[in-house]
Amino acid sequence: MKRRLQALVVLLILGAAKLPLEETATQHFRTTGLLSAPLSLSLRENLSQMGFAASLGGLRSLVATITYLRAYREWENVNWAKVDGLLQLTTSLQPMYSNYWDEASWHMAYNAASYYENDEKVNAFVREKLAKEHVQRGIAILLEGLRYLPDDVRLWNSLAEIYERRSKEPRQAAVAYLQVYRLTGNNRYARFAAYQYVQTTDPELWKKAYELLRAAYEKKSQRTPSLIENLKTLEERLNIPLMKRIPDPRPKIENATIEVKPGR
Amino acid sequence: MTLPFSIPRIWTLATATVTQLLRMKIMAFLLVFSVIVVAAGFAFPVMNPEQQLKFLKDVSFGALQLFSVVIAVCATALLLPRDLEDRTLYTILSKPVPRFEYLLGKLLGVLILIGAGLLLMDIAFSAVLWLREKLVLAQSVAALKAEGTATAESIAQVEAFVGKQGLTWNLHLGVVAIFFKAAVITALTLMISCFASSTLFTIVISFLITIAGHGQGLIREYFLTGHAGWFKKLLSALLAVVTPDMGVFDIVDNVINGELVTLAALGFMAAIASAYLVGYSVVSHLLFVEKEL
Repeated sequence: MKRRLQALVVLLILGAAKLPLEETATQHFRTTGLLSAPLSLSLRENLSQMGFAASLGGLRSLVATITYLRAYREWENVNWAKVDGLLQLTTSLQPMYSNYWDEASWHMAYNAASYYENDEKVNAFVREKLAKEHVQRGIAILLEGLRYLPDDVRLWNSLAEIYERRSKEPRQAAVAYLQVYRLTGNNRYARFAAYQYVQTTDPELWKKAYELLRAAYEKKSQRTPSLIENLKTLEERLNIPLMKRIPDPRPKIENATIEVKPGR
Repeated sequence: MTLPFSIPRIWTLATATVTQLLRMKIMAFLLVFSVIVVAAGFAFPVMNPEQQLKFLKDVSFGALQLFSVVIAVCATALLLPRDLEDRTLYTILSKPVPRFEYLLGKLLGVLILIGAGLLLMDIAFSAVLWLREKLVLAQSVAALKAEGTATAESIAQVEAFVGKQGLTWNLHLGVVAIFFKAAVITALTLMISCFASSTLFTIVISFLITIAGHGQGLIREYFLTGHAGWFKKLLSALLAVVTPDMGVFDIVDNVINGELVTLAALGFMAAIASAYLVGYSVVSHLLFVEKEL
């Protein structure tokens, strides 16, 4: 009996002594990104009991893969609500993996939105409304993902593209492209941001666009047809003095025009 | 100065334990693992290359974790009852072998078996991942060539993209973390089997504590920062003290995503695992030394 009591005392001392060490280790691992934030108990409602236990038991990545594959199957069945729900679950389980956020937003902003845009079963007003809602859902997914991964180039680029191509919000697209430029240092994203500023109706943003494009123009390798075309447009809009304008790329041929293709 | 225990005796007991477990056909799981890895490696070819490699890693690491935990619990839980049943225990303890040496030998034997199993599975998994990575890369480059966009820059980008999810040394450190977790579970199961009345009891209780241990981080946070009443706090404090925190070894999820395992992280895990091994071994000895055989 005496030994059993001793065993209990040792167990309790070990338990009390390990607590600060485990707490320090957990905090260290979370800071260095080796451990994710603890699972939200609300996930329990969406995952099966087995799935939740497995996620708690260190198999989060595996459970996330399974929910992702289930989403894939629902995509084949064109069940958008289910795709959204399962991918939401997937991103909750693995919020630090950018591919899941990117794919979830792609499904909503492109696939689901396009599906509703072309759905002949509903009237035009509802079609447009549903499509817009799904584009906004795609944006919301990316913004949520960027809360976890604020420096992820892929997510910023996808966000910029959705603003540019799907929701037609050039100002926000420009901001997102500038983030990509800040993170990668790749000049073409600064140009993309400028092109988006040109699309706005704000003269202040035109000035910003002009500065960005003028800086790009200084490097010969970046003088793409789109850059020259946009610069010429801005020179007109901002009344840039003739002396400061770039040379006109279009040769003056009487009764003829050469179209500049809108390549990037 | 002489040691209070004999290392050769412990080693002999450990190797005998390994032989005993091998005779139980416990390593058959290696074959199952290989089938799972190969199947995962070549399943879902329609997914993008990055996702295919991630899928392979997710499934393989999931299987590694599952097998190491199952073997840690089941193999350890079987040891003492089996020795009692075939009377090997009496033969050993009738010789000048202290009981704690017997326990240490058993513990070391299971750890050697788990370590060797994980090593073999790691080798098999690495080979399949490496092969898959090369295949995926070759397919991606061939696709670029077919599109006429196979510039040096785009090939380098594809290589970086695929390489991110490919085979790295860091992944092996994830396997080390799995071993640490299995070692703690082994020591815990051995401790439980020292006072348990049946093998089934040992297995069930060990699994329950292991599952609770995975949620220990939540319990500890509740105990340290929660605003619950004193009774709930007391209960959570007791659970936090009694159960080991398995969550600190669960770095595999993020290692798969490319997070680097630092030396400090490895040190933390080794220190925690060692503390449990020593602590649980002491408790096991205190329980076993009084056990009527």
